[in-house]
Amino acid sequence: MVKQSNYGIGIDVGSTTTKAVLIDSTGKVRARYLLATGASAKKSIQRCLDELVSQSKQDLSGITMISTGYGRSQANFVSKSVTEITCHGIGIHSLNKEIQTLIDVGGQDSKVIRIGSNGRPTDFELNDKCSAGTGRFLEVMAQVLEIPIQELGSLALKAKSPSVISSTCTVFAESEVIGRIGAGDTPANIAAGIHKAMAAKIATLSQRVGVVKPVAVTGGVALNPGFRFYLAKQLQTELWVPDEPQYTGALGAALLAIDTHE
Amino acid sequence: MSQKTTTEPPKEKAYRKLYTSKLLRETMTLHILSTKTASQNGRLVWVTSGFPVEIPVAFDTVAAYPEQYGAIVGSEKCGPLLCGFAEELGFSQELCSYARSSIGSVKKPEQSPLTGLPIPQALLACNNICGTVLGWYEAVSEMTGAPVYLVDTPPLEGDQPPHHLAYVKSNLEGLITFMSETFNQPYDEEKLLQVADLSNTAVNLWTKSLEACKNKPSPLNCADRFLSMAPIVALRGTQQAIDFYQAFYGEVKERVKQGLGAIREERVRLLWDNIPPWFTIYNFFNTLAKKGVVFPADSYTHAWSANIPRGEALESIAQVYSKIWLNKGLSAKIDKMCNLIKDYELDGFVLFSVRSCKRYSLGQMVTKEVITRRTGVPGVIIEGDMVDSQQYNEAQAETRVDALLEMIL
Repeated sequence: MVKQSNYGIGIDVGSTTTKAVLIDSTGKVRARYLLATGASAKKSIQRCLDELVSQSKQDLSGITMISTGYGRSQANFVSKSVTEITCHGIGIHSLNKEIQTLIDVGGQDSKVIRIGSNGRPTDFELNDKCSAGTGRFLEVMAQVLEIPIQELGSLALKAKSPSVISSTCTVFAESEVIGRIGAGDTPANIAAGIHKAMAAKIATLSQRVGVVKPVAVTGGVALNPGFRFYLAKQLQTELWVPDEPQYTGALGAALLAIDTHE
Repeated sequence: MSQKTTTEPPKEKAYRKLYTSKLLRETMTLHILSTKTASQNGRLVWVTSGFPVEIPVAFDTVAAYPEQYGAIVGSEKCGPLLCGFAEELGFSQELCSYARSSIGSVKKPEQSPLTGLPIPQALLACNNICGTVLGWYEAVSEMTGAPVYLVDTPPLEGDQPPHHLAYVKSNLEGLITFMSETFNQPYDEEKLLQVADLSNTAVNLWTKSLEACKNKPSPLNCADRFLSMAPIVALRGTQQAIDFYQAFYGEVKERVKQGLGAIREERVRLLWDNIPPWFTIYNFFNTLAKKGVVFPADSYTHAWSANIPRGEALESIAQVYSKIWLNKGLSAKIDKMCNLIKDYELDGFVLFSVRSCKRYSLGQMVTKEVITRRTGVPGVIIEGDMVDSQQYNEAQAETRVDALLEMIL
């Protein structure tokens, strides 16, 4: 049996979802879990840990844990808390050592990080105090269009002539979208306009840090093909997306947990 | 959770309290009382923070500072309430929160800390710090009946050309006439020079106290300086300011001699830019003190460090007050901050983007980039406000500063 000290756990308590990753000392993921953070971060953390136990069939006691994300202080039993900026840098660097710039778009938060040679961030920017340029923006727009959020991105790719959505403010864009529906624009064109507006907002945030290639995209919104298409177009670069983009922060935290132990 | 059953010695605080804070409190309480008396005697002026206060002091008037009052409103955590009173009058949420809370307190003094500032007999504004002050004082003038005088200092880039100096000086001559007529007192140049000397003495003591923070550990943290600057702002040109800063500098020297820092364990030294979030000033800086973070320098409290040269009084004053670096454009401010980072051996910087104070916060994104390029140290921008706590998100600010620390440590 592998010794407990050869494992590390990272818990990323985001504003929308909580992610947990168990890795071994080689960095291999042994278990992972994701669920909605909901009203109680503490409960969602516990649920994640229970899942890690059940998937790995390991006793987790004694394993170093590091928490990250906005709710990181809620996991008061962990060895320490590290910001999601550092954890995402470490996480993406372990997945692809070439990446120079990371764009992470989560549920209510988006960030752009310049990655240093060891994965440590050298500069970063976060979104303003509003939901413009975050997953929440897309969720609200999907509701207005009465389309499941999972289908919004692929719908946008079917557009023939994207609608012009000038606002990235969730509240104002909602009115604009209703206006476009009233004007008879197709759902695909409106969906494309929404993604274009969102990509423009993220591109502006990225320019503040400076877009050095290659660029990776992570977070839940990285799963959206419409967003990836318009962001790549806006930044005029290819975007690299890991297989499980939502777990990057938790993976970084788990890697730091192994380092801490060593 | 288990209850503690044994008596443990109280935990040592992460920061050291200044013993001169008692004298500070007494000095400022006496000043507040003197403003009330002056108002009753018809000799109170309100002035902006960058105003050449030596002139009204030489006319035997007492100066009250609405910006300083704004800091009290913020510290008392009633910014949203008082700003709301101004918003009810139609003022925009985008307007400076010092202006909003000041106007709000004039409207409803009974609901304001210290029942508001006493009613002035004149409102003296100088636009070397921002252009908002004129509109703000005009609004207060409409409510109180006190006349406004503006000292106009057009923005400067580089050296002051002669026509600029002549223009500002003519504004000061106008001020002399205004003060003579309003307060029925002739101008006495010799007295103004004496006041300028008193002002210089206090400024020198203050500057030496700030420069002592080049020592490691730094004898003062950000909150120490922001609170202790009250007399240099409000009592410049008076003996009371000198008395306070002699004691204050004495304590600073004592700390340096004994190797005592403002915080117990200094690990990271940072620069602070802008007015602080008054409503959470202790919480913000003391939380970071627990992590070993001290701020030996900031761009704000260093603003009161210019000496009025001996010479023709009005010309000297016109020179000094035109060259306040907020009036000198972004590159002067960036130069200043880069120098502070080098001279105080700082590891990074925090730029506080104050929603209300556009003049101070303008250009911070570029500033961040340029400072890092020139000094090699990383920085971060956090957003909020000095008085209006509704504009501040603690969790977001904490994440940004923590990420900066992770980059440094």
